[in-house]
Amino acid sequence: MKVDLKPMEKILQKVWPRAREKHLYPQLPTPQLVEGGEEVALDIKSKKLQISASFLENIKVMMDPEEAVEAVLDHGIAHYMYCPWDFHTHLTLYSEAKKALKDKKMAQKATSYFLDVVANTYCVKERETKLPELYRRLPKEGVQGVLASLYQKIWGVDLGADEEHEEKVRRLARIPYLEKRRWRESIKKFAKVIEDLLEEELKAEQGQDRKAPNPLGEHSLDNYSLEEIDRGLRNFASTVQDLQEFKETVEDLKEELNERGYAMGGMGRGEGNPIDADLLYYMKLAENYTLPIRKLPMEKSGDLHPHSHSPWEVGKPFQDIDPWTSFGKIMPGLTQTWVRREGEVYGEMESTPDCLIIIDSSGSMTNPRERLSYAVLGAACACNAYLKNEARVAVYNFSDAFRGNKLLLEFSRQREAIYRAICRYFGGGTALDLEDVAYLLRQADHPDIFIITDMQITNLEKLIEFFSGIENRVTAVHLGHNVHTVRFREGLKKKRNISLFPVREKEDIPKIVLGKIREYWASPL
Amino acid sequence: MINPFQEFKGRTSRRREIPLDQILRSKEETLSRILRGYENLLKNEAKDLVWLMQYSTVIKAYTIAEEGIKGIEYTAEDIEEFCYALDKTDQIPYLITGPAGVYISALCNHAKEEEIVLRLQDLNVKINLLGYRLPEGKRLVVEGNVGDFTGIGLDGGELVIEGSAKNYTGAGMKRGKIVVKNNIGFNTGHGMTGGEIVVGGRIKGLGKIVGGKIYEREHLIFPSEEMKPFFF
Repeated sequence: MKVDLKPMEKILQKVWPRAREKHLYPQLPTPQLVEGGEEVALDIKSKKLQISASFLENIKVMMDPEEAVEAVLDHGIAHYMYCPWDFHTHLTLYSEAKKALKDKKMAQKATSYFLDVVANTYCVKERETKLPELYRRLPKEGVQGVLASLYQKIWGVDLGADEEHEEKVRRLARIPYLEKRRWRESIKKFAKVIEDLLEEELKAEQGQDRKAPNPLGEHSLDNYSLEEIDRGLRNFASTVQDLQEFKETVEDLKEELNERGYAMGGMGRGEGNPIDADLLYYMKLAENYTLPIRKLPMEKSGDLHPHSHSPWEVGKPFQDIDPWTSFGKIMPGLTQTWVRREGEVYGEMESTPDCLIIIDSSGSMTNPRERLSYAVLGAACACNAYLKNEARVAVYNFSDAFRGNKLLLEFSRQREAIYRAICRYFGGGTALDLEDVAYLLRQADHPDIFIITDMQITNLEKLIEFFSGIENRVTAVHLGHNVHTVRFREGLKKKRNISLFPVREKEDIPKIVLGKIREYWASPL
Repeated sequence: MINPFQEFKGRTSRRREIPLDQILRSKEETLSRILRGYENLLKNEAKDLVWLMQYSTVIKAYTIAEEGIKGIEYTAEDIEEFCYALDKTDQIPYLITGPAGVYISALCNHAKEEEIVLRLQDLNVKINLLGYRLPEGKRLVVEGNVGDFTGIGLDGGELVIEGSAKNYTGAGMKRGKIVVKNNIGFNTGHGMTGGEIVVGGRIKGLGKIVGGKIYEREHLIFPSEEMKPFFF
């Protein structure tokens, strides 16, 4: 259907300032009128509200088009202003819905409906809105019918919905939609109540080979910019209970993330770079730890420059007198002389040394792909810190190195390859091939070394001997306390370039690593 | 100087009361009354946080529970909310699954609805004694797993567990039906005198059964050639 956009555009121009004012001027771009479909009114693409002219054309015979536009805008703005607010909330809600329904598509649908109910109810309660009038005119089949009955009950307006699903509506009406802190449990209840309807809807979609349209728009990754997705994943990584929850959610959204152009190592790398949920988890988690910012070293320049005034006294040299502030007179108490100070300038910038990470992935260490490994997270924090300062990172991941259970990554700035190397898990015995370490050390100029292990290393004596002979700054983080750690400590206690950190709480590893990096960068090599 | 917020002057936020507020308020009120009744039961029956599961203690606890819920207007959803409140330490100071089960049973037995569905899949604790004395004409459906002594003293009602039950399920039941979709523990039907227990999965062990019928995966296993009625 070809629609003349001009009259609708006029309406939009008239209504948009009013809607903005009503919602206290949200930072949203001007909405756009698009030809669109007849069934779906709104599409949100990276905050841009796109209203379907065909939909408005259809609805205008039933309600005032100005009111319809305002209602659609209210709905769109409420998503931005209240629920989901950001991608992190969206992900969290999806994850909870998935726990309740155990099915990706159903969880996506449940999340979408929940977001709508919350945003609409917020509008109806907090703002003057024509949303009930719009809903009165929208189709009421399946889940939409139940939601219309729900709106009728909780908003106290007649929307012309039938009373078919009384028990469901009664249960849904008990959910505190406007209590943000309870959204996690609320969406679970919401999803369970409409589970059978979602199943029916999915079956019908499979039969008809088309998705049941949501009249006020779908909720997908398209709603968010890449920056928002990146930030959302970072926050999500730090709030999920465990690695598995993050992994499951990211795996579910993998296709959409790829389509959206989000790939490993951050955003905007385009397709063809598949997402590894485990690596992404450690990347995002490591980003949550604060990184020290390097200060530029200040040096005395040696030049003296006039800095401030002091009264001239007899006996003081004449050449420093400032004639301007002395009114041209030589008189003690009146005459002012310049006090000179040595200037400070930025000194020559020190470059950040490269970093070698030696990480133990023997059987006694946590498998980072099964559970959150703080050893790997610590290594990830170190990687981030060095990479952000344009240094290079090498990785030596070992288990039983002499049997081939080792991974060498030469000095590189490729974040993904580095993360892949630190996340590798061998799960065997514990022995280092020091030839490999020596080889890596030769590839850079005095790199800093971080070694994270539980010290139950078969050739520990050789390692002590090796570390005794090098001058690099070494940070050894060892987990637990045993005879090996005592031996290691004793063997290297005279070496001032080696810092040993026994870790009782694994959670402390990232902070120890970052603390040490901060210390390194504050002091010269 | 011009006030930069001038244009917001006179703009008041419009918050209107909607029926949802009333629903939630009354839900909270009901829940707090139910919780008070439960706390009263604990105060009387589990003073030192110890509750011994005995025939007499169960009867006494049930009587106190019935007293505690008198005059409360509640629905099946309120019972479900109470079950979830048991999981939260901010709402319930301590949980003792025995008295909790007796209290929930009293709530179910006195509920207005004939059929009560409790969706307890996400509950972390397994509540004991659910379905105690469920009377004729009542149907209680529990979605999720339950603890010990489920459906004891069942009195003509129908108890459906859409999950697994633990030990002593249906002990002392007189009439009615217990359906357990998955597995069931030891001493099933101990002392039961009538009614039916239908188990979709496996039964770990039967108790000393006086009367009634027990089915395991659609096979009648009591009474049978191997399992004869027991006379106390």
